[in-house]
Amino acid sequence: MAKIENGRQSADTGSIRTISSSHVDDESSLGSDSEINGFTSDRQTDKYGFIGGAQQYSEESAQDVPPEVLRQREVKWLDMLSHWDKWMIKRFNKVRLRCQKGIPPALRGRAWLYLSGGKVKKEQNQGKFQELDSQPGDPKWVDVIEKDLHRQFPFHEMFVSRGGHGQQDLFRVLKAYTLYRPEEGYCQAQAPIAAVLLMHMPAEDAFWGLVQICEKYLPGYYSPGLEAIQLDGEILFALLRRVSPLAFRHLEKHKIDPILYMTEWFMCAFSRTLPWASVLRVWDMFLCDGVKIIFRVGLVLLKCMLGTREKLKACQGQYETMELLRAIEPRYMQEGFLVREILEVPVTARDVERVHHSQLKRWKKNRGELNFKPPPRMHGARLIMLAEPPRHQDLQQNPTIVLEASQPASQLKKGKEEKKSKKKKSVKKPQPVKEIPNPYPLPNDPPPSDPPAPPSDSTSSTQELKPQTETDSLHQQTEPPTDLPPAKESALQRSTQSLSSTEQDTYL
Amino acid sequence: MGSDEAYNFVFKVVLIGESGVGKSNLLSRFTKNEFNHDSRTTIGVEFSTRTVQLSGFTIKAQIWDTAGLERYRAITSAYYRGAVGALLVYDITKHLTYESVERWLKELYDHADPDIVVMLVGNKTDLESERSVPTEEAKDFAKKKDILFLETSALESTNVEAAFTNVLAEIHKKVRSKAVVRGSISAVSLNSHRAENAEEKKPCCRNI
Repeated sequence: MAKIENGRQSADTGSIRTISSSHVDDESSLGSDSEINGFTSDRQTDKYGFIGGAQQYSEESAQDVPPEVLRQREVKWLDMLSHWDKWMIKRFNKVRLRCQKGIPPALRGRAWLYLSGGKVKKEQNQGKFQELDSQPGDPKWVDVIEKDLHRQFPFHEMFVSRGGHGQQDLFRVLKAYTLYRPEEGYCQAQAPIAAVLLMHMPAEDAFWGLVQICEKYLPGYYSPGLEAIQLDGEILFALLRRVSPLAFRHLEKHKIDPILYMTEWFMCAFSRTLPWASVLRVWDMFLCDGVKIIFRVGLVLLKCMLGTREKLKACQGQYETMELLRAIEPRYMQEGFLVREILEVPVTARDVERVHHSQLKRWKKNRGELNFKPPPRMHGARLIMLAEPPRHQDLQQNPTIVLEASQPASQLKKGKEEKKSKKKKSVKKPQPVKEIPNPYPLPNDPPPSDPPAPPSDSTSSTQELKPQTETDSLHQQTEPPTDLPPAKESALQRSTQSLSSTEQDTYL
Repeated sequence: MGSDEAYNFVFKVVLIGESGVGKSNLLSRFTKNEFNHDSRTTIGVEFSTRTVQLSGFTIKAQIWDTAGLERYRAITSAYYRGAVGALLVYDITKHLTYESVERWLKELYDHADPDIVVMLVGNKTDLESERSVPTEEAKDFAKKKDILFLETSALESTNVEAAFTNVLAEIHKKVRSKAVVRGSISAVSLNSHRAENAEEKKPCCRNI
């Protein structure tokens, strides 16, 4: 387990700007930083990689999925990913349902890449990222980006070290975007978006994920002028009228501009607001169904915090209201509660478009034409795919490690493993299952006995690629649902994970 | 909901300036006595309050902090509304951040009350060895523009109190002298405790 480096220094002027060093309990000289930074005396990383309780992980509120269920879900997702176009076109409702239940952590990165259309973009633009990566970049943007690298999720182990792999990859992704879209350049809120992606996939994939979010899901959000976010603020407010008239009237009465509370929510897709478990669930749904999810989360939070007379009594002015909205009660952000509420909000993509239309008219009347006309918004993964249909090869998963077909099956531990491996094969070439080969006892793998620990265990290590094979072998311990056809090919799901980003091996 | 202590005034003060000059840490240093090298990039608006005593009056300072990046200026008009003071911050080690002060001033006067009290703040004096903006030059500029001036270090806590309290004192002076007859400052000064920009519904002591 890597030593957790705290990227901060004690007040020692000479070394302030240089590479971090590990200090233990160095906060005292600077005043009580510990509290504001969520740093407690126990510096454990939680299962998502956050240090010292940052981003509000809590055992009690964690909605832990039993391992058997996780395994089942993984099998289903692996199957979907192997036949992505079919599932997206013909059985999208099922895909959506599975996103709503939460994507199994081990497959989240890959699923996000597929949902967002980033996978297709990547395959259709092979070599592009490398090309952008190799260029120096506009100094103006490089300068601003560099200032921000240590300011994204500084309490996440991936980003805590100045100059570490996480910050390096963040730089590469953000810089590449400014080269890819020079007219857009860099907007600070892109950094948290890129960082969330990087926690789940290597730099090149994260780059294409970012492209898709900036251009398909939230077009115009990061453009100069920030008109799109302002417009969405008005849309949110208009939708609130129906969802919670009390909250609406209160905000109206106190002239609280939506920009004052929804900017960080929307621009960072709630990654800076919610407890991490909830962030992941929201993103699972957001990448599946588009911006309406973001609107729904905003509406839920507003309704919960301002939706009753009692709550409103407590905030009599603009300032108090804003303070309230900045300190959302944890119970409203808790994973289970939040997801249930999101699914109940009666706001559809069509509603969003309709209100968008009327707010746009209003804008034009009051403020003239938009300076930056973004492309139309795509409301979810299916529409993105329909708009940019992939070629067959674009959806292929390309394992970097391929195992030989046959291993004698006798080896296989009896009991659970017998049933579990039936479906999964390690081989790339299609082969009928004769017996139950466990293709997996790779020499350096742990024996496939128990259900695997959450993948983040391996995330926290900074060593080699070994975790990758581990988690793959763990995949084989799935309980195959009997109704699914056996996977015919590419059961070994590997990513083209770059060697330079070994920390984020929740990506599989 | 903030403290229950009685206060005479609420002054809204905004922190503006280029990205990375130290606005957020000036805020946290003043209101919480905290500093963080890795404070998160400000996206949207952050704010905090602190109550100070000035000449026997209790003043609640409501400090607003915003993103400095150029394109965020498009959404800042909401932030300026009702502000009676501003700290325009630059980084003494980055001359570029000083060069844009003129633009920030224009931005300020375009959106905020014309009588807003402004202080030019050269932050990061702890990095004296990397200084690229001479104190005298900035001082002269401030004088020319008729705005206050101080150099600070949020890291070392140098002059941070002074910067804020000086601004608050200036605001208070204007308010008491009733030099302004219109706009938000007068709204604060008058005996109305439902002042628009004060946004506080608590009754204040009458003061004169």
